[in-house]
Formats: sequence, C-alpha cells, structure tokens
Amino acid sequence: MDKLWNLLTLYDKILIVLLLLGSVFFIVLPLIGLTTEGNNLIDGEIVIQSSGIIQARIPLSDTYGDKALRIEIAGPIGTSIVEAFQGRVRMFEAPESDPEKICEKTGWIDQPGPMIICVPNQISIWIEAAEPEFDGVSW
Amino acid sequence: MERTRKIVLISLLVSLGLILHFVEAMLPMAFIVPGAKLGLANIVSLMGIVLFGFQGGFLILMMRIILASLMAGTLMTINFYLSIAGGLLSFLFMYGAYYYLGKRFSLLGISILGAVFHNLGQIVTAYYIIANPGIFYYLPYLILLAVPTGLGVGLVTYYTLSYLNRYFVKGVEHV
Repeated sequence: MDKLWNLLTLYDKILIVLLLLGSVFFIVLPLIGLTTEGNNLIDGEIVIQSSGIIQARIPLSDTYGDKALRIEIAGPIGTSIVEAFQGRVRMFEAPESDPEKICEKTGWIDQPGPMIICVPNQISIWIEAAEPEFDGVSW
Repeated sequence: MERTRKIVLISLLVSLGLILHFVEAMLPMAFIVPGAKLGLANIVSLMGIVLFGFQGGFLILMMRIILASLMAGTLMTINFYLSIAGGLLSFLFMYGAYYYLGKRFSLLGISILGAVFHNLGQIVTAYYIIANPGIFYYLPYLILLAVPTGLGVGLVTYYTLSYLNRYFVKGVEHV
C-alpha cells in the first residue's frame, strides 16, 4: 500500500479524489430527489421505448396479477421479451444475436432511476413515477 | 533488425490484447453496473502508447478492436461501434496525457483517465443509438468503478513496462 502511494503523483491523487467526489455526488443527488418526491409508485408506469419511439406504457398497478406480463418488442437484431410482474420489470429474453446480453443481466428494476438498456436492439425500459402531488401545500 | 523487432513486438501486443479482450468478456461484471468492465485490454493500449507513440499505439488499438470483433462476429455491428468509440476516445486522452502532461500524471493516473473516457465515449455513443438520456444515470457508477479498475490496469502496465524495458525492448526507440 505504501508503494502504491509513492507511485501516485500529486496530480494523480487530485484526479482520483475529484472523480470519486464527483461520481458519489451524482449518485447521491438523484437518491435525495427520490425520497422527497414521495412514493407515488402505485400510480407509476413502465415505459418501453424502442428505436426512439415509445412502444408501450404499462401502469404498475396492472402487473399485480397472478401471472407475469410478457411483452414482445421487435428491434433491429430480433425480438426481445420484456416481463413485468408485481411492480417490477426485467428483460426476460434478449435476442440470440445480442453478443453481451447486458439488458438480461441488469435484472429487475422496480423504481425510477435505473434503466434497462439493450443498445444493440435499441430498446430502453424504465419506470416513471406519477407526478408528485402536493396535497394542498402551496409554495 | 530494428524494424523486425518493432513488427514482432507490435504483433505480440495485439495478440495479448486479443486474449485479454476475450478473457474479459468471460468475466461477469455487468451485475454490478450494466456495461461495467475491468478494461484489461487497456493494458495493451497503454503499453502501445508508451512504447511506440501515436502511430504504433493507434495501430495496436485498431488491430485489436477489428480482429476481436471479426473473431466474435460483431464487425460493423453496434457493439463494434461502441468498442471503437470508447477505445478511440480513451486512446486520444491517454496519449495527450502521457506526452503533454507526462510529468504531472503517472501511468496510474493516465490509465484512470483512459478508463473514464472509455466509459464516456461508450455512453455518449449508446445515447445516440437508443436516444434516451436516462442512460446517463449509470455514468457516475461507471466512473466510480473506473477509479479502481483504472488503477489496477495502470499498476499492471507500470510493472510490465519496467520488466519489458530491462529485458525485451532495448532496441526499440521510445520516448
């Protein structure tokens, strides 16, 4: 550890500290926004966009059935299958020709912020919370 | 003799880069942050810059990317463009940092810069492809990861180069 410290120049250390502070700041910032906006997720919806066009908006309240909702989305390299269940959504199956299948590995998302992205098939899926309501509170 | 040595060394670095590229593809990192990678192939790009300057380094980078995508069957697909975008941007910044700010930054800092700009190049390209600004949500997570991975890559490069300089690269002109 001592050795590593000696290898780093002053500018290296400044760079590392700036990058760490900057990235932590931008990670924490949206988290603060989420908690103050309140939990309006019951009214939220799942948005599926492909090739720049919004293909489907599914209210989260529709996903609490007995069976998972499966939606097929066609993209440039094949058909992706999206699965929504119990207020969560994931990429169930990426096309065979997707070399890395990053969208499948992303797993479930259940809140606004993270996004399922399939760059080769130009699909993005995210959750939008309903507009925050201020119950009679005026600014 | 000089020229032959250079050709052999560049080819060796390209094949090393190819192997690292495929080893990396087998390591599961995407569960931490989608798209996250160790950046092992960057070891070779950085070594190329230090040993052979702009021309040689550029040659090593482009040959590695084109050959790897030929082997994986992704030439001219979106994955290929993502590789090129990240690779080129990180190459340009690492080259600039090494030759113009080399006294201020060590190889470790330069490698971290390379990792950060690799992420930046890929995310911006991906943004143009899927046309969704929400993709930038992952950028701070990727940059946070780029610090330790870049540090690791820089350390490997540093120790490999100090070994190479002693035993292998005597005949090659380098700055």
